[in-house]
Amino acid sequence: MSEFTVNFIDQKKSVRVKAGTDILSAAAKAGIVLNASCGGDGLCGKCKVIIKKGKVKAEASRLVSEDDKKRGIVLACGTIAEGDLEVMIPSESLESREKMKHDAEEFTKGVVLKEETRFSRSPLVRKIYLELSGPSADDTTSDLERIYEALSAKLDGTLVSTKLANVKHLGEMLRDNEFKATAVVAHKDGALEILALEPGDTSASNLGFAFDIGTTTVVGQLVDVNTGDVLSSRIAFNKQAQYGSDVITRIVYASEGGGLEKLYEAVMDNINEIIEDIAKECKIEPGDIYGAVLAGNMTMMHLLLRIDPSSIRRAPYVPTTTVFPSINSAELGLEINPKGIVAFLPGVASYVGGDIISGLIACGLYRNEGLALLADIGTNGEIVLGNKDWMMGAAASAGPAFEGSGLSFGMKAVKGAIDRVAIDEKLVVKAGTIGNEKAKGICGSGYIDLLCQMLKRRIIEKDGKINRTLSSPRIRKNENNHEFVVAFKDESSIGRDIVITEDDIENLKRSKGAIYSAIISLLNKVDKDISEVKKMYIAGGFGNYLNIENAIAIGLLPDAKRDVYEFIGNSSLAGARMSLLSHDAFVKANEIFKNVTYVDLSSEPAYMDEYIAALFFPHTDSRRFPSAR
Amino acid sequence: MAIELIKEKYTGPINTVEIGAGQGMVKLGGETALPFLFREGDMPNKPLIALEVQDCEPSDWADPVRDAFGDAVKDPVKWAKKCVSEFGAKILCVRLQSAHPDFGNGSIDASVERLKAIAKEVKVPLIVIGCGDDDKDNELLPKASQAMKGSNCLFGIATQANYKTLTATCLADGHSIIADSPIDVNIAKQLNILMADMGFDQKRIVMHPTTTSLGYGMEYVYSIMERARLAAFIGDASLAMPFILFVGQETWKVKEAKEFGEKQGINWEIATAAAMVQAGADIQVLRHPRSAVSITKYIDKLMER
Repeated sequence: MSEFTVNFIDQKKSVRVKAGTDILSAAAKAGIVLNASCGGDGLCGKCKVIIKKGKVKAEASRLVSEDDKKRGIVLACGTIAEGDLEVMIPSESLESREKMKHDAEEFTKGVVLKEETRFSRSPLVRKIYLELSGPSADDTTSDLERIYEALSAKLDGTLVSTKLANVKHLGEMLRDNEFKATAVVAHKDGALEILALEPGDTSASNLGFAFDIGTTTVVGQLVDVNTGDVLSSRIAFNKQAQYGSDVITRIVYASEGGGLEKLYEAVMDNINEIIEDIAKECKIEPGDIYGAVLAGNMTMMHLLLRIDPSSIRRAPYVPTTTVFPSINSAELGLEINPKGIVAFLPGVASYVGGDIISGLIACGLYRNEGLALLADIGTNGEIVLGNKDWMMGAAASAGPAFEGSGLSFGMKAVKGAIDRVAIDEKLVVKAGTIGNEKAKGICGSGYIDLLCQMLKRRIIEKDGKINRTLSSPRIRKNENNHEFVVAFKDESSIGRDIVITEDDIENLKRSKGAIYSAIISLLNKVDKDISEVKKMYIAGGFGNYLNIENAIAIGLLPDAKRDVYEFIGNSSLAGARMSLLSHDAFVKANEIFKNVTYVDLSSEPAYMDEYIAALFFPHTDSRRFPSAR
Repeated sequence: MAIELIKEKYTGPINTVEIGAGQGMVKLGGETALPFLFREGDMPNKPLIALEVQDCEPSDWADPVRDAFGDAVKDPVKWAKKCVSEFGAKILCVRLQSAHPDFGNGSIDASVERLKAIAKEVKVPLIVIGCGDDDKDNELLPKASQAMKGSNCLFGIATQANYKTLTATCLADGHSIIADSPIDVNIAKQLNILMADMGFDQKRIVMHPTTTSLGYGMEYVYSIMERARLAAFIGDASLAMPFILFVGQETWKVKEAKEFGEKQGINWEIATAAAMVQAGADIQVLRHPRSAVSITKYIDKLMER
């Protein structure tokens, strides 16, 4: 078989590939990570490259405009090298460190929750300053015993242990520093362990990381454990997406030779880049950080810990484990202090993971007297219904649309994202962006507003089709169907019109239908009506803003009384942060996950009926949405 | 003690749709229970049978059906008159097939003229169906609708992909509409809602849940119709429309009906129509006049209380 050279000219990298290799794979081979949130299925249109020289065979795609074609733009995933090539990569196609850093700086702190103050401040990792009296002829206690005794006095007699590495040079360290040292103590397996002993008093600075590992996005936060303040937050698209946009494709990929390792490396890369970027921004040393708490869905946790996830996708869908032992940071590959500790939130079942348990801790649903519901609107939408006595959890495969992936101009909830939209009678669009910058794209909350406003102005009909009879320069035909211009070129910072297409609307319709029908199916399962739900917590990666009224208007959320709703932002991240700050919260998570009964909606025939009926704005049964009438 | 059978109690009746103006006017729907369960509810209007005629010679029709009308099939007006005078049709379905690109691609004006000629000669209500090509129908049906203004016809067929032109024109000219939903209760609801959103009275919509022939998955159509009806009876207004089925068209294209002689063909059409009456069809469009006569008798019998 013949081979060709693909030269990525602006990256100064070139690679030999076999005939028939697509450019996306060639780039990966050259160590260049292209944006491909659909995993190379030709659906997201984010891996555009420019063929400068050479022969290729490119699949036609609706995501490449006529204009693009003239400029030699193709989708890397759908283009096969048929000779030696010179390829240029536009910056928007690169998921580079630089670009991520830029994006990540802009992520918000998130919503501050009442629950966060409920738990006592007993962090995962504590720094305890010790001033010991030195040994003498009368006091011949060994150095380590001396530390244990001092700690024991400060920790109400709890047993403490440590590792040999901390002991070897202990004597010298104590003597050099007048027996003044700081013990870094962590909760592990129900006991306390000295992770490290630092000379002098370092207890003033105690930092930790909280992470939410999502199928589509990875979010990390640096937290000052002493004050509870969030110092910085970053968000990035999960790099595993290059191997598949959903958990099932990734599980399949993991079972291929070396697949699990690659998926692990991809997400660790995300995590470590976030750590590095935040450390740089906050001018701290990652080596000074000893604790991290991670929350993620079951597949993400398996992949991160390199546990074979294959049983998750096979009936009866049982994961290898739902609880994950706390481990050493070096063992995980987390680039904080190698002696540090990483804890993981436990999950319930294959499709109801630690992210939703984390969410339960964050919203406090498990303490509610009345019936309450938590809906986490993510790629794997997860829903828990219950109260202090019982809880039921279910999952809905909603897809990444509300996280800004798989849509023509979808993006994360970061600066420059349109997150709120109003359209007046003359169809003039007023769009607000995060950070009040020029628009780059549209994030989940922006799409919710947009759909609602388009429905209101009859720009789309209830089936999501754009009304061709309206005359407005914003409504126009594209290659396949119709699109609506949200921001014209001069209002955007990307030099192009920002539009929503009928395909995008279809995609969003399926996502919202999946979430809504999962909520209703779970309620039906326990024979409850939406009117009986006293509290509804809505979580998701929407940044700081989600218009509940509009989410109801498009049929994403049930038409319940407005005062039962509470938007709680990224609750998975919030729960991880709370577990970092309070071991009590972590313990609580490890108690309550056992109380959640898993309901497998895919085996409920009624779920499919519910889902199909929800593929309309707001719903085919208009009686369920009286306020839309 | 005598055993008391359980009676279902329903809340919402099926809409009543009137077709035609003046003396020959017919009514569809109005049921308050499943078909012929007179103990549970009423069926104020007898299920109807319409005969189908086309505005051009039906070159693709099976021989037994064409032969039944003799030379009349060559002249739409004669054909229509024959249906009424000879076979007693109370309602006709005129398919404007001549305009279809695959059937001669005739001019729209000529097609409309033929429709007008039929309407002038026969005094029964008309169902008017386009040629089936969306682009052509979007020109043809508005003109046909205008020409028939005031006659309160039933026009079709509105589909999810192409309903706006027809809905707007029927709204203007006062006709009712057939809404198509390929064996899908949700699409049926969606289309009914979309048409209502354009200001069209939902009570002037007749649903086509898809027709099939005996031996070709008829039970699926049956269950979809039953499901829609039950939803309507418990108050879902977006499904409370009468049903129309094109039994003639579907039956006479299967080989069991068209290739084994006239008798088997007629029996096939009757058997299909009989089942569909039980499924809740309010009006069925048949092709063979003898099938129509037989099935009408059958319905009369069923309606005896």
